[in-house]
Amino acid sequence: MRVTLRYLVLPLALTAAAGVAQANSDVERLTANPKNWAMQAGDMYNQRYSKLSQINAGNVNKLQVAWTFSTGVLRGHEGSPLVIGDTMYLHSPFPNRVFAIDLNTNKIKWKYTPKQDPAVIPQMCCDTVNRGLAYAEGKVFLQQADSTLVAFDANSGKVLWSVKNGDPSVGAVNTNAPHVFKDKVITGISGGEWGVRGYVAAYNINTGDLVWKGYSTGPDDEMLIDPGTTTTWMDGRVQPVGEDSSLKTWKEDLWKIGGGTTWGWYSYDKALNLMYYGTGNPSTWNPAQRPGDNKWSMSVWARDVDTGKVKWVYQMTPYDEWDFDGINEMILADIPVKGKMTKALVHFDRNGFGYTLDRTNGALLVAEKYDPKVNWATHVDMKSGRPQVVSKYSTAQNGPDVNTKGVCPAALGSKDEQPAAYSPKTRLFYVPTNHVCMDYEPFAVEYTAGQPYVGATLSMYPPPGEKHMGNFIAWDAGTGKIVWSKPEKFSVWSGALATAGDVIFYGTLEGYLKAVDNKGNELWKFKTPSGIIGNVFTYEHKGKQYVGVFSGIGGWAGIGMAAGLEKDTDGLGAVGGYKELNQYTELGGSLTVFALGN
Amino acid sequence: MSGRRILVAVFAVIATLQAGADESAGSNLYTVVDGYKVDPATMKGFRAWRAAACDRCHGANQEGLVGPSLINSLKVLSKEEFVKTVTEGRLDKGMVSFKTSKIVMDNLDNLYAYLKGRSDGAITRAKVEELKP
Repeated sequence: MRVTLRYLVLPLALTAAAGVAQANSDVERLTANPKNWAMQAGDMYNQRYSKLSQINAGNVNKLQVAWTFSTGVLRGHEGSPLVIGDTMYLHSPFPNRVFAIDLNTNKIKWKYTPKQDPAVIPQMCCDTVNRGLAYAEGKVFLQQADSTLVAFDANSGKVLWSVKNGDPSVGAVNTNAPHVFKDKVITGISGGEWGVRGYVAAYNINTGDLVWKGYSTGPDDEMLIDPGTTTTWMDGRVQPVGEDSSLKTWKEDLWKIGGGTTWGWYSYDKALNLMYYGTGNPSTWNPAQRPGDNKWSMSVWARDVDTGKVKWVYQMTPYDEWDFDGINEMILADIPVKGKMTKALVHFDRNGFGYTLDRTNGALLVAEKYDPKVNWATHVDMKSGRPQVVSKYSTAQNGPDVNTKGVCPAALGSKDEQPAAYSPKTRLFYVPTNHVCMDYEPFAVEYTAGQPYVGATLSMYPPPGEKHMGNFIAWDAGTGKIVWSKPEKFSVWSGALATAGDVIFYGTLEGYLKAVDNKGNELWKFKTPSGIIGNVFTYEHKGKQYVGVFSGIGGWAGIGMAAGLEKDTDGLGAVGGYKELNQYTELGGSLTVFALGN
Repeated sequence: MSGRRILVAVFAVIATLQAGADESAGSNLYTVVDGYKVDPATMKGFRAWRAAACDRCHGANQEGLVGPSLINSLKVLSKEEFVKTVTEGRLDKGMVSFKTSKIVMDNLDNLYAYLKGRSDGAITRAKVEELKP
């Protein structure tokens, strides 16, 4: 009897202790049902794939607008709403409004507008965007611009807790979406152009208490790196990083203002208990001021979700000279790589290379250009994992106050934050890309806390001899090859959606939502009220499949839309190539939702 | 009808004269040769413009992006208004307060001269070089 009792008690105690696992299982359950769109990417693997197939290649040309909604804010709208059951949760750019909409009645259940110090507005690089909400266990999470992380009761909108994640007075603000993995809501920080030292932080979803925080640069213990067990790719194999792997790569204590911010999309592999994300540029943009590899800016990270401990890390662009932030999403997929089934991590970096790594240990498997115009490096040396830089395009070798011309891609990368999609059906990745080159002139700049710390002047334009500035491509991550490429007039700055209906969706800066088939043939398009930099999402309600997207031009590419672009008299401005956008669209801020007609 | 046309013409002449007066006033602020070679003080103004990353909002050629065109604004703003805006910012509109930026505060007059030169059309390209004596 006694023995039996003991065995009875034990599993109960385990379940209670692992109340932990419930948040994970709640989000897991919600994302497993394709009727919901319960995470920003639809799932924890960042695949942006939906099993819904009511809308398919045969009928997508019959899509019609079902309903629309204005957020009341006229700035760049990135990210997407979430759908949980009968409720849709929407966010807006600064001031970061939140709406819960009852899909049965289309009435607003609750809404919230945070009170934020307007001083954060000028500190937000590249427009006052916000990349969306997270949901778990009846709670909605908002990461405000002023770095406040807030949890709401999903039914009432009541604020349950809020916590300050950064110090906006030094430029540490937020644009990223929070991500819930297990019982933690994980967030990052922005401010690479203000000398902010990047980190990711995990907060308890029920209390808002900080569980762990791991920096991108500095001493090993502050990065949660164990020199003996944290590994990286060196000399053709996975090896321990060794002591002071970051400190050794910075002049003096410049790592303290060295960037490596973390504003992208994170993914999670439950079986490995690892979360994956990337770090951004080292500060300043003038490489002459910060000799060294500047580790671990520009890197892919794998951290244990419970402790934050770094399992492995891989730096894509050592000693950045072009602002090729490594923050773009890490997509997890089990795919054949060079003939062998692999637990892969696939990443389309700003630097123009599409990377495939073994996500269990960070081994480098594939690194190939996903835009043939990429010219700053000839290739990535697979043994060292380092890109082989072409001297002509090295802004460091050319030095400060020299304008290095014709570098491809431009600072906004062959792709920026706009996330790609993966279809397990075709085993291909569908990637929204930029097709833009630049001139880059670094110059000396001094650090002042709370002031811009940039140190380079840029101008951007389409590759020489070409007129289009974007491509929507299909990519084979197992071989590192472009399968097809569909040109677009402007950068494709909208997150893609792949579906079981053999239709892939994406938006354009002119404002079109487009549907293409698995071969890239355009099947349908619709002009929304403003340019699209939001991510396409889908859900099912009362037996009907819907596809939606935010429109609202802005972000880095669309930043020039806001005012007075008429007088660009002498050459190209910072976003000179995008000037023509004002012939196609205007500012906006609305959601457009589509369904098949009756 | 013809009377009104003459009136318009007269106003146009006055406007032109005034513009001419403005330009000569502007030329006291800065010296420019060939549209891009400027005096050392104006050169410091350009360096302050660059270091403070003003181009991120106002455009590489001051043409305006998220922030307004300074080519236009400097035609309207008084020197006092310019100094106040740069020093205190216009936070709700996204304009940074540069109060704590040494390079900007030390170079308010030079920055004004550089931007005024751009606005007047006398400095014909954003990137200037120092006039060699």
